[in-house]
Amino acid sequence: MSAGQQDGNFKLNLNGQEVAWSGEPAASLADVIRDQQGLTGTKIGCRTGECGACTVLLEGRPVVSCLIPAASVQGQQVETIEGLARQEEFQSLMTAMQENGGVQCGFCTPGVMVTTWAWLQNPALFNGDLGSALKNNLCRCTGYLGIIRSAEQVLAGRGAGV
Amino acid sequence: MSELRTKSPADLSAKLAGETRYLHDMNFPGQLVGAIYRSPYAHARILSINVEQAKQVEGVVAVLTADDLPSYKYGPTKFKDWNLLAKDRVLFIGDEIVAIAAETKEAAQRALELVEVEFEPLPGLFDPEDSLKPGAPLLHEDVEANKPMQVSVSRGDLEEGKRKAAIVKGGRYYSNRIYQGHLEPVGAIASWSDEEGITIWAPSHIPYRARETYAAGFGLPEDKVRIIVPPIGGSFGSKYVLKVHVIAAALAMATRRHVKIILDRYEDMITAHPRVPLTFDIEIGADEEGHFVYKELTVYADAGARVYWSPNVVSTVCTRADNIYHFGSVKSEGYLCYTNNSPTTCMRGFGNAEMLFAVESVIDEIALDLNMDPAELRLKNIVHQGDTTLHGYRLDTCKLDECIEKVKELSGWHRRSSLPPYRGLGLAVANHVSGFRAIDPRFDGSTAVIRLKQDGEIEVETGEVELGQGMSLTYARIASMILGIPEAAILVKSGDTGRYPFGIGTLASRSTVMGGNAVQKAARSLAVKLKELARETLGEAADFREGAAVLEGQTYSLSEMASWYRARHAGEELEIKETYVPDTDLPDATYFGHPSPNYPFAAHVAEVEVDPDTGRTKVIGYWAVHDSGTIIHETMAKGQVLGAIAQGIGWVTMEDLLVKEGKVMNPSMMDYRMPGAKDMPEAEVFFIEGEDPNGPLGAKSIGEVALDPVPGAIANAIAHATGKRGYALPLSAEKVWKSLQNA
Ligand code: FES
Ligand code: FES
Repeated sequence: MSAGQQDGNFKLNLNGQEVAWSGEPAASLADVIRDQQGLTGTKIGCRTGECGACTVLLEGRPVVSCLIPAASVQGQQVETIEGLARQEEFQSLMTAMQENGGVQCGFCTPGVMVTTWAWLQNPALFNGDLGSALKNNLCRCTGYLGIIRSAEQVLAGRGAGV
Repeated sequence: MSELRTKSPADLSAKLAGETRYLHDMNFPGQLVGAIYRSPYAHARILSINVEQAKQVEGVVAVLTADDLPSYKYGPTKFKDWNLLAKDRVLFIGDEIVAIAAETKEAAQRALELVEVEFEPLPGLFDPEDSLKPGAPLLHEDVEANKPMQVSVSRGDLEEGKRKAAIVKGGRYYSNRIYQGHLEPVGAIASWSDEEGITIWAPSHIPYRARETYAAGFGLPEDKVRIIVPPIGGSFGSKYVLKVHVIAAALAMATRRHVKIILDRYEDMITAHPRVPLTFDIEIGADEEGHFVYKELTVYADAGARVYWSPNVVSTVCTRADNIYHFGSVKSEGYLCYTNNSPTTCMRGFGNAEMLFAVESVIDEIALDLNMDPAELRLKNIVHQGDTTLHGYRLDTCKLDECIEKVKELSGWHRRSSLPPYRGLGLAVANHVSGFRAIDPRFDGSTAVIRLKQDGEIEVETGEVELGQGMSLTYARIASMILGIPEAAILVKSGDTGRYPFGIGTLASRSTVMGGNAVQKAARSLAVKLKELARETLGEAADFREGAAVLEGQTYSLSEMASWYRARHAGEELEIKETYVPDTDLPDATYFGHPSPNYPFAAHVAEVEVDPDTGRTKVIGYWAVHDSGTIIHETMAKGQVLGAIAQGIGWVTMEDLLVKEGKVMNPSMMDYRMPGAKDMPEAEVFFIEGEDPNGPLGAKSIGEVALDPVPGAIANAIAHATGKRGYALPLSAEKVWKSLQNA
């Protein structure tokens, strides 16, 4: 941290736990999550809000964490891929992604999983269309169809009690 | 055994759970941040460099200029035009002049701002054809006429071909500067120790070539350089050998601490070496019945300021497509030209995809003139199983004819004559190699080590590298099929020049066939050894079947077998190393040869809808039929094809790294638009399977042939939809709209 900046102490509700971090209030949420909390599942591909590799959930909605000042989300629920991966239904999405070719190099994958998960929780959020939900998640490897088919499979499986 | 165990570095479940650690996620105690001062000029003389102030910044540990470093000339190909840092002259915007290592990013940034370099701007060369003109300034003094390479290929009697031609089509085509668009930005971590030398953690898929190149750059023996490859977050050709790797190493040597450099997206885009842009003058002649009689080509390739892998791209441009049709006679002239643009290199498809864009466009024009179905015209001229192609490729298998028939059926090709206005269907075909003999003229092939671990797991080590294409899963499946044990019990390891067998590098679609054959060979030998071990231990009646030793209905697990072996061999593990040497011929001086163990083929159809008011093209349907021999891992193979379709859609309809006087005009993901989920149509992928005698389990490659036909198929669909042919990629909305206005 360079001298002269107003460093402070802040709190974050991360994956259901209150954690403290200190530093510059404008530090990006992505950096705080990665560097101070050691949660490296959130990736940084561009730092300009275009690739979606850094997507996390803020109060249940996918957001690009590289553009959000960490101090501005005190008191709000932040969930990262590590938090979501602990949930049971996440496993069925993981399985579907492997079966349908939704992952290759994996760099976009945590962000894609976060967005897809949010869509599965509430498809209405994005007019029911996963393609629209994924508009902020670039993937250079898979051609997207495997991701979309995986989500549809999970959605269909739910009705059948999977 | 749990499905979740790590098959480093390919484990998909770890990637899905966010557990995979890429270069960005790795840190070492005491690690420094590296930064690079780059030239703001495309071509300039360096009059002076002053780093005194930069050195004073608190937290700065090292500031290096060319004067602090050795000055060997080196490079990854036979063209040795690299330096460690620029000394007297800079050759492109982004050329590296000063390297800084500091305790923090902020300190490094501050030091960068205090570097003072005095430049004398020089006239720049930005167009490859201009570079070759007499009187152009020489960018590398020892290279005549800015032309590091010229390719001349000629086969058959071109003059006779020309006499026979009843119809001739062609023109000047351009392929664009495409950014590979890897989601993970380029970077490296390096360290130095007197005993070990340089260690570089770098996502490179040709780590052994990188080792050789970098050792030469520092004047070190090869065993004093070690490359460790973390999981790679996408490459498509951008992550071979890079200056940022050597600069990190130079800083680590100077500071004796770990140095990490991750380029931000801007720096990545101005220096990450895009696809080689090409200008083609092409002509194809056919007789009255539509039999091709000649193809003539002149191509100018923009190497940029330094040679990365562009020479190999140019030779591919001048030859590969001639092995898909019986052209009768061909003549190609290829010129590689130095310019003051950022260096260019390979991208998936490697010259072949670009060439096929032009060839497949011209063939559709011939069909139009002959009033013939474009699919029919292709069927008349393509190569077949058993053929030896114009340049010597021996086709033990080829199902291209079946691919064309099948893609017609799947796409509803018959609809072509009755589509509504501004809708079009376009077809294109492609070939590729499964490894290429000339990548390393000294030798070819691949080595695998297979080992029975103490816990009964099988470890496979390879010199090839996982890029996310599914190589490790493919190798696990090959070993599993041969040994009769579950895939989950097989760990595939690669990507460390200090530990794993030598490999040429994962390029030219080598991994499935070259590495896969080595794995197959090693697994077969292990099966024999396990049988022997069973007999030595249990007696002559014992056997090894389905992952266990068996005697009279009694089974003994692999972990038991591992302990038998260790007891007899002083604690050693049962380990086998096998090298697959393919039956290939290095192309001769005329480019004639049989450079690959086998050759995959594909036929694609794209359906597009063009908006006449905006010129915008939407790809609304896509069908891809492939002959890649036996498909070993269908999900991953399909994934390769779908990903290639998306890349091709981007390439043809939207992507272009715009460069003006050497300056990249759109160095961000906002301004360089790549396809998103909404740009991808429903796509159908179909494999015409069949065993190739030279592939592991009968497989051929898939990675690049998946992209090769896409530009041609979409370009042909647009021409069909609009009645106007596009000659210069990308066929952006603006260009298509303009062509529609010129009635
Ligand atoms: S890193 Fe945040 S959107 Fe790319
Ligand atoms: S899997 Fe590589 S970018 Fe999506």
